[in-house]
Amino acid sequence: MNQKSNKYPKRFERSFRWVPKVVLPVLLMCFISATAFAQEATISGKITSADTGEPLLGVNVILKGTSYGVSSDIDGNYTINRVTPGDVLTFSFLGFETREVIVGNETEINVSLNPAANELDELVIVGYGRKKKRNLTGSIASVGSEEIAESNQQDPVSILQGRAAGVQVTSNSGAPGGAITIRVRGNSSLNSGNDPLYVVDGVPIESNSLSSLNGTENFGLNPLSDINPGDIESIEVLKDAASTAIYGSRAANGVVMITTKRGKEGAARIDVNAFTGVSEISRKLSVLNASQYREVIIDSYKNMDNPVEPTYAVLDSLSPRNNGDVDWQDEVLRVAPQYKVDFSVRGGSDKVKYAWSSSFLNQDGIILNSNYKRVTSRLNVDFNATDKLKFGQSLSYTNGVNNRINAGGSGNLSVVRELLIRPPSYSMYLPDGSLNGYQWGKRNPVGLAELATHLNKTNRIIGNEYVEYQFTEGLKLRSNLNLDYISMKEDEFLPSTLDYRPGYNSGAVRAINNLTWGNETYFTYDNQFNEIHNLSALAGLSFQKWNYERTGLDGMFFSSDNIRTLNGAGTISNQEVNIITEHSMLSYFGRVSYDYKGKYLAEVNLRADGSSRFGKDNRFGYFPSASVGWRFSEDFLQDSRLVNDAKLRFSVGQTGNESIGNYTSQGEFAVGANYLDNSGAIPSVMPNSGLTWETTTQYDAGLDVALWRNRVTFSADVYLKQTDDLLYNVPIPRTTGFSYITQNIGSIENKGVEFTLNTRNLVGEFQWDTNFNISSNRNVVTDLPDDLLTNGYIQNGKYHILKEGLPIGTFYGWKFNGVYARDEDNVNGVTYGALGKQFKGGDPIWDDVNGDNIINGDDRQIIGDATPDFYGGITNNFSYKNFSLGVFFQFSYGNDIYSEINHQRNSVVRYNNLSTDALNRWREQGDVTNFPKPVRDDPLESDSRVQSRWVEDGSYIKLKNLNLRYQFPSELIGHLGLARLDAYVTGSNLITWTKYTGFDPDVNSYSGLRAGVDEGSYPQSRTFIFGLNFGF
Amino acid sequence: MLKKMKVMKKILFTIVLFSVLSCSEDILDKEPVSSFSAQGFYKTTSDAQAGVYGIYDAVQSTFRVNFAYWGEGRADAVNTNHSGDPLVLQQNTLSRTINSARWNSIYETISRANYAIKYIPQVTDGDFGLQLVGQARALRALSYFYAVRIWGDVPLITEPYESGEQDLFIKRTDKEAVLDQIVADLQFAVENCRESYGGAKDRILITQGGANALLTKVYMWRKDYQNANETADKVLNNSLYSLMSINDWSRIFTTGYTNESIFEIGYDETQTNALRVLYALGSDSDYFPSDKFRNSFEDDDLRKNLIYDISAEQPRKIWKFFGEGFDDESPEPSSNNIVLIRLADIMLLKAEALNKLGETQKALELLNVIRKRAGLSELDEAEAIAMYGDVESAILHERLIELSFEGHRWFDLVRTGRAIDVMQPINGLSDEGNLVWPIHEDALNRNPNLEQNSFYQ
Repeated sequence: MNQKSNKYPKRFERSFRWVPKVVLPVLLMCFISATAFAQEATISGKITSADTGEPLLGVNVILKGTSYGVSSDIDGNYTINRVTPGDVLTFSFLGFETREVIVGNETEINVSLNPAANELDELVIVGYGRKKKRNLTGSIASVGSEEIAESNQQDPVSILQGRAAGVQVTSNSGAPGGAITIRVRGNSSLNSGNDPLYVVDGVPIESNSLSSLNGTENFGLNPLSDINPGDIESIEVLKDAASTAIYGSRAANGVVMITTKRGKEGAARIDVNAFTGVSEISRKLSVLNASQYREVIIDSYKNMDNPVEPTYAVLDSLSPRNNGDVDWQDEVLRVAPQYKVDFSVRGGSDKVKYAWSSSFLNQDGIILNSNYKRVTSRLNVDFNATDKLKFGQSLSYTNGVNNRINAGGSGNLSVVRELLIRPPSYSMYLPDGSLNGYQWGKRNPVGLAELATHLNKTNRIIGNEYVEYQFTEGLKLRSNLNLDYISMKEDEFLPSTLDYRPGYNSGAVRAINNLTWGNETYFTYDNQFNEIHNLSALAGLSFQKWNYERTGLDGMFFSSDNIRTLNGAGTISNQEVNIITEHSMLSYFGRVSYDYKGKYLAEVNLRADGSSRFGKDNRFGYFPSASVGWRFSEDFLQDSRLVNDAKLRFSVGQTGNESIGNYTSQGEFAVGANYLDNSGAIPSVMPNSGLTWETTTQYDAGLDVALWRNRVTFSADVYLKQTDDLLYNVPIPRTTGFSYITQNIGSIENKGVEFTLNTRNLVGEFQWDTNFNISSNRNVVTDLPDDLLTNGYIQNGKYHILKEGLPIGTFYGWKFNGVYARDEDNVNGVTYGALGKQFKGGDPIWDDVNGDNIINGDDRQIIGDATPDFYGGITNNFSYKNFSLGVFFQFSYGNDIYSEINHQRNSVVRYNNLSTDALNRWREQGDVTNFPKPVRDDPLESDSRVQSRWVEDGSYIKLKNLNLRYQFPSELIGHLGLARLDAYVTGSNLITWTKYTGFDPDVNSYSGLRAGVDEGSYPQSRTFIFGLNFGF
Repeated sequence: MLKKMKVMKKILFTIVLFSVLSCSEDILDKEPVSSFSAQGFYKTTSDAQAGVYGIYDAVQSTFRVNFAYWGEGRADAVNTNHSGDPLVLQQNTLSRTINSARWNSIYETISRANYAIKYIPQVTDGDFGLQLVGQARALRALSYFYAVRIWGDVPLITEPYESGEQDLFIKRTDKEAVLDQIVADLQFAVENCRESYGGAKDRILITQGGANALLTKVYMWRKDYQNANETADKVLNNSLYSLMSINDWSRIFTTGYTNESIFEIGYDETQTNALRVLYALGSDSDYFPSDKFRNSFEDDDLRKNLIYDISAEQPRKIWKFFGEGFDDESPEPSSNNIVLIRLADIMLLKAEALNKLGETQKALELLNVIRKRAGLSELDEAEAIAMYGDVESAILHERLIELSFEGHRWFDLVRTGRAIDVMQPINGLSDEGNLVWPIHEDALNRNPNLEQNSFYQ
């Protein structure tokens, strides 16, 4: 190891020894030639602010076309040498407009700079419009195109991770195009409708995974991957009720507004961005080798109550099925290449503006055979037909081909599970050379990756066509037609080599068509009265329809494993699916904003939504909000040199959640409950015509401050979100034939604090910016109806409970207090409840909560919480001359992970291979360890308990992204015909500091309420890329 | 310019018109497309047929594992090493959290049957409808019959649930009243079910013969030997049923659909059950034959080697359901049908009934038919008494072997009052109140009006 690391620097040194010899003389020559052939002058002067007349410190004075320059001192004075008449000096300073001056024969040039349109004057996207940041009264987090470019993420959601306060992002899967969970200000619903609404250029898009193969929720896709981040101008996350109420019944979980780049007036600008790179596993886990594994199995027989001779075939090391010694991770994981090309042309005239782009991504996953290819194309056009009439479109097309791997879930079809728990002794091949695909309940992960098919092909069109007519100066009518159409086809095949039944193979095909379309028509009005009263208003109506179709067939007994399309199936099984569901919504909305001199701000919103999901009498919901803001800097701090802007804002309002089944309120009789080949129909959903929306009432108070001419800006928000009438499947007696009835019950509260700080630490030649955000959300279930509760709580899946006073995501189970070293250590004679068997040496010590010396269901307790105490990110951007460096850390603190995969990795019950922790297992009386003895058919059922042994601290801080960029000087690339050329390297997910022992602490196998479980998801990877970005 | 304005006005007008028209509230009326609104399902005869197949779908899930847990788990023919229900049942340490104490799928069957029984007559009142209602009532009876044998008194529900306003929290009904309902349902089924549907369906659907066979079992449980005897006759005289030869005996279970089968639950590659995991998972199945069972064979019994591997010192699997020599380590589901009632079962029940009615000779004749097929000698009364103590014991022993592991043993022991005698030496069973299962904790939690069986309180 040491030898190696010593070797490299030497070679490095040697190879760079030529640098001074070659470069220095060249530089010297340039210098000499510059001084020798020009008539040089020295120019000095004073730089002041045009509005206040104050001298400005640190203004960059650059000789245009070179990188040579100086900066001004504390009195605003500068002196620059080696200037010749005709040269151009560029004066630039943050917060001021850049000015260029042509040098004549003078020696003194005094310059006054105009304050730039302040960044607080930047427009921020809000629902149905834009607003100056300065005048916002709501809480909105915003991520711009530069951050998007630096992130090297291939979907818009991942970009938000650690970059937007109040937005928590966790990865369900590390697979290319894999699913992601996003929570804006916590979980506000029990029935898992916790995702925000996504609006792309005014189109509300489908954001749920439509993949329907395998049916496991931890095997989903991320539909947002269909949007190429390279096309995105900005992402805004609307968080408080003032910002979201205009989206009414779909906005309780926040709204993510994605705005794509549009053309600007001017000559066509052509940009190309191309990168290539590799990913690798960020951490490998330790597993036992074959002989260590056999010892554990033998031990497990020895440790039985009535020990029997170990007869299990797994011990026969001479069998050709069982004579291997494989770490399956080495066989399945790989270094995976990827590349991407983005191409765009943007420009326009006063009549037409256009932005056309196209991109191709080819990304291999780190598990064998997994691959994602994506082609996107977009055309955004705006026409000014007359002075008053405008129309245009945003239209994008995406084609994605995802060669997926079954890498989630609990079954033995999961590659990730099998690569960790398939015993090392199981051979890769049988003596006849064929793959040892299935053996004793375990599948060969190499076979699963390479031979099984899970192919997803997606075609998607997202479009928005608009017409806008301006009646008078302030009054406009806009109508747009939006649509999001997804056509997906999925193929699945499991060859006979991987099946437990000889000669049995199976396949399936699914075709999905998902269409949402609608129209929004609204008037906007903007006017100023007496130069002090600013009024704007919005009034409109919209409808939206959703139609979802799924068609599929399953087949088996294919004549050959090589024909995988369904025509090769011997039997088409009776699992045909052809499902259509529909949903529609009709809405009216309006907004009035008023401000007095930009000092006192106020806004009210109202939306009325009618949804087909609810009974006739409960169809319409009304969602109001009101907000006020006070820019107190205008009243008190006008003369302050410290504070240049300060605003207090407060908002209150209501939003809704209608994410339940399309037909839940009317009840359903389902078909497809077949008896052999005979089709059957069954009552499946108990009707409840009284169902209505979940309503979230949110209060938000915020403070926005900008100091030292925006050198420091910070925002702080506190909020309280109360959700009532939760839609919940209330358990009813099973004697009714149903297990639940959907009702509006209970309440949840989320409250939290968000803090964002942006600083320009150094300006001038060497620049250093820092962006920091941190958020903390406290979630608590405040009310559950008593008749719902068994023992005071609701079991929420296997690992979690829901209980008043506790957060969603609370793990509940038995607490593991170590291992009895010897039989006598069980001094109280603690027994296992149902069987009355005593715990002995080597058995786990369970916390006996009620002290009755019996371990049973009553001894379960809270063993963890998946909610982080706080999370966030910090970015440092440095630039010096043509170099820039971005360093992005992302963190989450205080969240627990229930590592089901670690349970699997330490479960001898299933003859799984174990982690090397098992080497410390209890073997004989007196052994002090925290690894219990393995027991075959353990009557104490120690293995199957949900227990604190698998709960781990999931806190982490990650060097998520490091981006180094070099911008070639224009004099160097000008003759190549290039306007710009950047070269960059980016490393992603480089280092993680964590105590978590699984692949990666950024993990979340289930979406919805069952957060923080690691079932063995597709592992995260570390990625390095090199890219070029050039323009003409 | 004026013209242009006009065009523009037209455009605007169209936009506004389009928006307003399309926003009629009618767009909010959405009926399900690929399913039915809860009350709107039963409309045609094919709906009626589909509704009844939906009941069978629930029967599949009811019995996929539990036929063995309920019928064999607590009895003497099996032994187990497996924690969970198998061990708990075998050691008689039943708790209110074990899986086999759940009645969910039994009541799902009942609920679906109740829908069918209520709505089919409104759709089709002819023979077709009646025979469908007959099947529905027979399946409801089958479900309640298991329920009273497992839990004793159970909530008796004969109407479908269609709204949250109905009384959801039903108390338990006396088991005799439930049995009365079962008999009434089965009598209706006998009258209205088809004699035959033709082909394989005669085995996997409830026929008239199936209803009679089930009724026989109910009468035997109620110790109504007269009726049991008469009803069994109807089964024995039914030309659909005949005994298989010993050479084809295994086929009753391995391929299914034999002439000996009266009602078997159909399964296939996608609608699977747990037979393999229960009995035949190589070296590691839930159940293997108990020593007592293995030692209770008479010499030369041809069935012995068809049931398990006699060459193994300690057999770890039962291959009766998969065929002699079956060897497989896959813990995966299986597609064999589960034979719930077959001719040999009814013949032996009739023999028992005849014996109770004093017609010992006729009883022995029936018993000997089964014995002969197994290659055993015919018994006369004296031999039966000499070998097994009395004729009833001889018949019950025959049932133990012939019907082994098919889910009858425990109920035979309880029905004949022998459960405590037989099981006490094995697991200490001693209390009559312990013969039922506890009601599952989940059911108690969901319904405050339910009381736990007294033994488990």
